[in-house]
Amino acid sequence: MRCSNFSYLVWQGVVSVWHNRVMSFASFCILMVSLLLIGLALLISIDIGIIISNIEDTNEILIFVDEELSDSELSYITEILHSYRDDFVDRVVYRSPEEAWELERDNPVYRDFAVLFDSIGENPMPNTFSVSLWDITRMNEAVAQFYEIEGVIRIRAPYDFVEFLISIRNTFAIIGLAILAALIVVCVVIIYNTARSSVFARRMQISIMKHVGATNAFIRIPFFIEGMFIGILAGVASWGLTRLAYNSVVAVFEEDIMLLQIFGISNVIVFDDIMWLALAANCLAGALLGAVGTVLSMGKHLKV
Amino acid sequence: MVELKNVDVYYKEGDVEALNDVNLRINDGEFVFIVGSSGAGKSTLLKLLTRERKPTNGRVFVNGYNLSKLRDGKIPKFRRSIGMIFQDFRLIPNLTVYENVAFVLRVTDRSRRFIRQRVPYVLNLVRLSDKARAYPSQLSGGEQQRVAIARAFASDPGLIIADEPTGNIDPELSYEIVELLKDINKCGTTVLMVTHEHDLVKYFGGRIISLKKGSVDFDDYIGGNDG
Repeated sequence: MRCSNFSYLVWQGVVSVWHNRVMSFASFCILMVSLLLIGLALLISIDIGIIISNIEDTNEILIFVDEELSDSELSYITEILHSYRDDFVDRVVYRSPEEAWELERDNPVYRDFAVLFDSIGENPMPNTFSVSLWDITRMNEAVAQFYEIEGVIRIRAPYDFVEFLISIRNTFAIIGLAILAALIVVCVVIIYNTARSSVFARRMQISIMKHVGATNAFIRIPFFIEGMFIGILAGVASWGLTRLAYNSVVAVFEEDIMLLQIFGISNVIVFDDIMWLALAANCLAGALLGAVGTVLSMGKHLKV
Repeated sequence: MVELKNVDVYYKEGDVEALNDVNLRINDGEFVFIVGSSGAGKSTLLKLLTRERKPTNGRVFVNGYNLSKLRDGKIPKFRRSIGMIFQDFRLIPNLTVYENVAFVLRVTDRSRRFIRQRVPYVLNLVRLSDKARAYPSQLSGGEQQRVAIARAFASDPGLIIADEPTGNIDPELSYEIVELLKDINKCGTTVLMVTHEHDLVKYFGGRIISLKKGSVDFDDYIGGNDG
C-alpha cells in the first residue's frame, strides 16, 4: 500500500471519531469507566497486600537459649539463624539478659506492674534471639528447625496471630482476584457490545467498501485507528480520574493517625511515584481494548 | 466478458430454486438490459456476478475470473475489475462527492497524482464538478446516482453492473441516467443494467434478457426509439 493511501486511512480513522461522535462518546465513556474501575480495583488490592505484608513484618519469634553459653557459642547460633535467610528468616536480633529485662520493664503493657519488677531481685531473663520471618506461612517449620539448634531451651511463637494473618491474606487475595476478574469480564463484554453497536451503525458503509473491492485490511485500518484513538483518550481521562480518586482516599487515611497506625498506610503506593507508568498502562490498555474491540466486532459485516 | 454455463442456484432457506439451468454470454462492449418480475432471479443473478454467492451448480465467468472457484481472498481484486451502481446509491455518507469517487481509486492503490487528475475528469463527465465538496445528503436523488456512476466508472472497469439505477429517482431523470450509462458504454465498457421499467427498455432498445421463474425467458435485440 502506498504511503499516501495509508496516511489517508489513518486520517479517516481520526476524522471518523468526530463524524460518529455520538457512538464515539459512548465508547469513550464506557472505556473510561472500565479503565477507572479496573485501575482503582488493582491499586486497592495491591495496597491491601502491602498493608497485610506490613502487619506480617511485625511477627516475632523469641528463642530462649541456655544462659551458660559462651560468646562464641552465641555467635555460632547467630550464624546458624542467619543461614536460614534464604528460606524464611528476615531479621535476627540478639538480646542479652540485661537488654531483655530492660525491654520487658519498658513494655507499656506492664506499666502498672513496675513494683513487681522492682521486687524481683535477680534478672530472670535468659539470652534471647528475636527472629522475624519473611515467610510467615513457614513458621511451624522454622520453629522445628530452631529447636534442633544446640543450646535452645524454649521458643515462643505467635501461632494464633500468624494463622489469623494468613487467613486474612488468603481471603483478601481471593476476593481481590474475583472482583478484578469479574470487573475485567464485565468491562470487556460492555466494550465489545459498544464497539458492535458502533460498527453495526456503519454496516452499510462497510458493505459499500466491500463492493468496490476494498480488502478487509483496508476497511479495518480506519476502524482500528478510530478505536485506538478513542481508547487513548479514555485512557488519559481515566488516568486523571484514578489519580484524583486514589489520592483523595489516601489523603483521608493519612489525616487520621489512628488509621495510619492500624493499617501501616505509610507504605502504600504513592500514585505520583507511578504516575507515568500508570498513564502509559492506561493508554496502552485503552488503545488495545478500543482497537481490538472494534476490529473484532467487524467480522460478520466483512462477509459481503 | 460475462458467461454463465448451466447455472443453478438453490436456496436451502425456504427451499427455493432461484436460478434454473441458466446459460448466458455477454460479450465485451455490449449494453444489456436484464428485466423480469419480482422473484424472477434478477437479484440472484447479480449476486452471482459480484461473487456475493456461488452457484449451486454450473460455472460463472466474469472478466476472466472463474467465480465458481474464486477464493474469498481474491474477491476484492475481482471486484475492482467491475463497477457497481445500486438503486439506493450507496454512497459513503461521511465522505464528500470527491472523496466518494476517490475512494475506489484509493482501494486500487492509485497514486495521489492520478487521483487528483481522474476524479475531476469523471465528475465532469457526470456534470457534477461544482458539487465535488458536497456531502451525499446535500444532493438530490439524481445527483447522488450520478456520483454513484462516476464512482463506478472512476477505475475504468471492464464491466459496470447497474442494479435498478433509476428505481429511486424521478422518471424524467431516469432517461438521463441511462444516457450516461450509454455514454460510458460507448467508451468500450460493458454495461449490464437490471431494471423493471419497461418504458425505458423500449425507448433505448438493444439487447434484452428477460428472466422468468429463474430461467432465461427471452434473450434478443429490440429496436429502440432514441434514434
